[in-house]
This record gives sequence, C-alpha cells and structure tokens, in this order.
Amino acid sequence: MSSSSFILAEAPRSSDPRPSSLRIGTLSVVLVALALAGYYAYVSWKPKPAPKPDATWVRITQEGVLRIGIDPSFPPFEADDGKGNLSGLDIALAQEWVHDWSAQTGKTIKVQYVYTGFDGLYDALKTGQFDVILSALPYDPRRTQDVLYSHSYYNSGPMVVVRSADMTTKSWYDLANKRVGVELGSSGDSFARKWQNRLNYDLREFNTPKDALQALSSGQVDGVLTDGIAVEDFLHAQGGVKTAGNPLVDELIVAAVRKDTPTLLQEINAVIDAMKSDGRLDQLQKEWF
Amino acid sequence: MNQPERRRNPRRMLGYGVRGLEAMVIFVIVSWFVAPPPILVMLGPPQKVETTSPKLGVHTRLTDEVEEWKIQKTLEMVREMGAPWIVEYFPWGYIENSQGEYDWQHADLVVDHARAQGLTVIARLGFVPAWARPKDSVTSYLDDAHVPLFANFVQAFVNHFRGRVSYIIIWNEPNVSFEWGYRPVDPAGYTRLLQAAYVAAKQADPSVQVLAGALAPTLAAPGSTDTMSDLEYLQKMYDAGAKNYFDILAVHAYGWTAPADDPPSPGVVNFRRTELLHDIMIANGDGAKHVMITEGGWNDHPRWTKAVSPAQRIEYTLRALDLAKEWDWLDACVFWVFRFPAPTLTYQDYYTFVTPGFDPKPIYYEVQKYATQQVTSGK
Repeated sequence: MSSSSFILAEAPRSSDPRPSSLRIGTLSVVLVALALAGYYAYVSWKPKPAPKPDATWVRITQEGVLRIGIDPSFPPFEADDGKGNLSGLDIALAQEWVHDWSAQTGKTIKVQYVYTGFDGLYDALKTGQFDVILSALPYDPRRTQDVLYSHSYYNSGPMVVVRSADMTTKSWYDLANKRVGVELGSSGDSFARKWQNRLNYDLREFNTPKDALQALSSGQVDGVLTDGIAVEDFLHAQGGVKTAGNPLVDELIVAAVRKDTPTLLQEINAVIDAMKSDGRLDQLQKEWF
Repeated sequence: MNQPERRRNPRRMLGYGVRGLEAMVIFVIVSWFVAPPPILVMLGPPQKVETTSPKLGVHTRLTDEVEEWKIQKTLEMVREMGAPWIVEYFPWGYIENSQGEYDWQHADLVVDHARAQGLTVIARLGFVPAWARPKDSVTSYLDDAHVPLFANFVQAFVNHFRGRVSYIIIWNEPNVSFEWGYRPVDPAGYTRLLQAAYVAAKQADPSVQVLAGALAPTLAAPGSTDTMSDLEYLQKMYDAGAKNYFDILAVHAYGWTAPADDPPSPGVVNFRRTELLHDIMIANGDGAKHVMITEGGWNDHPRWTKAVSPAQRIEYTLRALDLAKEWDWLDACVFWVFRFPAPTLTYQDYYTFVTPGFDPKPIYYEVQKYATQQVTSGK
C-alpha cells in the first residue's frame, strides 16, 4: 500500500492530527525493534567466557584424587578378589579417565574407591561420600532430577542369538514358528513368554544361558534370547553363534555425578567419547567380556 | 465510529466478555462429556486366602504405585499365590509431609484393598520428612531431638489404623550406616528410638504388635562404624534395654548363594542365620517371643555375585517354606519383593515374583503350586 492511498483512506479524519503521530510511533517501534535485534545478535554471538569449573572438579585436579563409589559385586564390570584388589571393565574405564585427565592437567590424578552397597550408591553420592558412581549403573530416567548421567559406555540389554551360519534371522520377530531357547526365569524368558502367542514359537527353557547357547550350537533350538555378556562368554569359549539385531530392550550402563558437578560430567563424557572414537572402549569390552 | 472509540465502548466490551464466558462454559460442558470416565475400582466382596502355607508372605512395594487398579491387581495376585501376609512400607514423609498434617489417602487405599483380599498387613514405618531433619541429609537421618516427632507419627498411624493394621515394624536395617542417615551405626540410639515408638504405639492401641530389628544380615568386621553384624547389633540392643520394648523380632533372611538348608554360622549369611538371632533372644531370656521374617529370599540376577540361577531360586525358596513350617517360633516368612511399580533397572528386579506389567515369573507359579496345590486338590 502506498503512502498516498494510506492518506486517502484516512481522509474522513483529516481534522484528526493523529495520522502524522501514528507514523512517528511506527518509526519508533521499528527503531526499538532494530535496537533489540542488534542487542540480541550481540549477546548471542559475543564470545562467552568459559564457565567456572565446579568445586568438585577443582578439588580433584588440586588434590589429584577422584573418589569413585562402587559395589564390587557385578563381574565383569567390577569384582573384588577378597584381598581388596579390584578388576573389571569399570576399573579399566576409571584408569582411562584419570590417565587422560592427568595428561590434560599435567598433574597425576589417582582413583580412590569407596565401597558402598548398590542400594546406597545414590544416597552416598548425594551426601558427598564420593564424586561419581561407576558401578555397572543402569541409566534410570526417574533419577534425572537428582543426578547427572554420563554418556553410555555399554548396552547390557538382552539379545537375540543365532548360529553364525543363519542369514535369515535379523531380529526376534524372525523367530516366529521356530524353536527358541531361554534361561528359565530370566528376562529373556519373560520376554519370550510375552510374545509366545503372537509368534507361536516353541519355547524351551534351560537352567543356564550357557546350556541354552549350547543347545543353539548343536541345533536343538534356532535362536536364544539372553544377555550380551553371556554371549560374549560363549563366544570366547566356543564360538559358532552371533547376535542378530539390536538389544531387545536397551539397558544403558552409565556413570552418575551430582547435579552441582557439571564440569566433572563434561570431563567424563569427553573421555568416553574419545574412547569410542579411537577404539579404546571396544578394546576394553573385548578384554573384559 | 472510528477505531479508538470502538475499543472504548463499554457495552461492546461487555458483549465480548459475555460471549467469551459462553464459549468457556460450552467448552467445559463438551469436555465433561468427551473425557473418558475415571476407572471405577471397587473393593469388592471380602476374599479369603486359600493356602496350605499360612506363614507365607511377600513384601509388596505399593508405596509408589499411583493407580488404584494396580494396587488391587497386585494384592489379588498375592492372594492367588496363596500368601496371607504382606509387608508394606508407609513412609512418614509421605503421610506427614507438613508437620501435623496427615494425608492417609494412599495408605488407606493400600490397607483397605489388602484387607479386602483377606491379607494381613505388617506396616513398616520410617522415612524422615524434610522438615524433621537437616537440609541435604538423607531420609534415614533421625537424630535424638526428633525422635519424639517420629513417635508422634507412630502413634497417629496406630490410632488411624486401629482394627485394620495390627503389626508395625520400627525402622529398617539400622545396623547399616546408609539406613542410619550415614552416621555411625548405634544400637543404643536405635533402642531409644524403639522405646519411644513402642510407648507411643501402645498408648494408641495396647494390642498392636511392635516389631523391632529388621536388621540387615551382615558380616561386618568388628569395630566397623559403617555396618555392624546383625548378631552383635541385636545383643547390643538387649544390652541397651530393648527387651521390654518389642513384641516380635523382625528378621531379614537372605540366602545369597547358599541353599536354604545351609547350616547357620556367625561367619556366613544364609537363610538359617535366622536361628542364630533366635538363639540370642533365648540367651537374653526372651525365648517366649516370636520371630517374623519380614524380608528375605534369593535373587536370580545373571551377574550379581550374591545371586543364584532362577532354577536354584525356586528350589531354595520352596525349601525355605518347608523350614518355616518347622520353626514353631516363626509366625511369618515374607519374601522380598513381590513386584515393583516400574522396573528398577538393577539387580533388584531379579528379586520380584511378578513384573511391573503383572506377568508372573516362573517362581510365582512354583510358589503358588506349593502353597495351593493341596487346597485345590481337596487334600
């Protein structure tokens, strides 16, 4: 619309002085909007100072001690040999953390383990008994208001396992009308029972995951539902089987820190991500599972 | 009429307001009819537990179960398994979230549905509300100064549930530091708490049965402040004067990796450790009192070092029920844990009898067969 047509439309109110003041008002609004946009752009693109490291991270780097809460009852993630010697994937992972941090800060950082029963880990973290939980800890969405979780470093959900030569089974759904083995009473057993009517498979229960995988190997069943660690054990010992598809249920294993320690979390995530990229995490999993 | 005048016209403004109000009323009425009705859950006619194992029980975990139909369904399945007892947790902090203001709604739901299914409720009391402890402390922290407030809650609970709940457990596993507010464990301190709670409970209802202990089976080294052996702790409770302040000893009888028959020994955690605790009662002239196992059983997690295979878990659990029948000083054998409202995603899921989605595990069917087969076959 041209300015002349605007004036024409307002002609009946020519005695009213407001049209000219309206134009001034419009201009003011535009100028204010431009100023705000400019300020927003400045604030958005201005280089920000690095956030202040949290007090826990400062203490770790100054004292050179990372305190880890652990229940050493879950091999192959962590186990105590009865003489206070710890071993397992989580122990090796913690060594990678402090190794990288020591190189990064130029100060040697060591790990101090604080033994705590699994049920007490979250409360003990909250009350400052240690800095981080690293104890085969599953990600729990209900706890995210209380703690910060790291990136996952393992998925321990149950898997479909078939013979190595099986090229047709891509997921558990392909086990329809076939013979399926599970450990009696296991989570794989529960999952299989739930879908038995739909998929009409012949469900066979065994006393241990190893027995079920042995039955798969010898052709007594066509697939097994069991956890990935049992599969890795069997692969090391005997081989001849493989996993098919993704875990039936995601059970992501993570570390947890207090909410007021975001720098510590960031540093943990940086090492986990680096280990995923450079193959160290795969290497550790092969070593411990 | 020009624009500014139109905006200022009060009659027109009133018209807009009335029309807006009409629209809101219509919206509310339409929503009322379109919204699904709430699920109607009735208590139903009183049920009776048909069982040949009158000591069998399970620890339910309905504290965090929100939906009433799930509370009812859980308790129905307990009854159908043949278990007449349940232990349920009634957190002080949930019921008296603000000091002096009690909200019994959820607790009433659980107790009334349990009674409708013919179950006897053993109420576990604990969980300190935020207003009764220091900031940033944990819910198991209760100092001496606040013990009378807990005793007040116990009295209010017993009073409210008089005639409906006849058994209460005072606290949980005080012999481990994390259940004692991360303070050094203190049998004398627990005994003071027990004494205050006992007196308060009996004032409300002299017939209520007060259970003490509920100690964690532990092999702590002597002198450890984080944990204390349950055997040592019980003796120290007697030394501190606990004898006249409980009616029944609550015992946690976990089997870990040992079969149910594994012989008891102070250096071993197994199911029959219960006998050692009973021996301590006798040694302190308290042998006439009975015992209730209020937690216990076996776990079938695939990797936990204190777990057994699912098949072993079934075998050991059934044998434990045989032993419970033989122990005439034992009133109830309650297994941890029947079901969680949602997966815990930890080894705790492998203690359950039923999944969060109400799928029974093989152990459910086996215990049900054990506890009801003679009933159903008419023997």
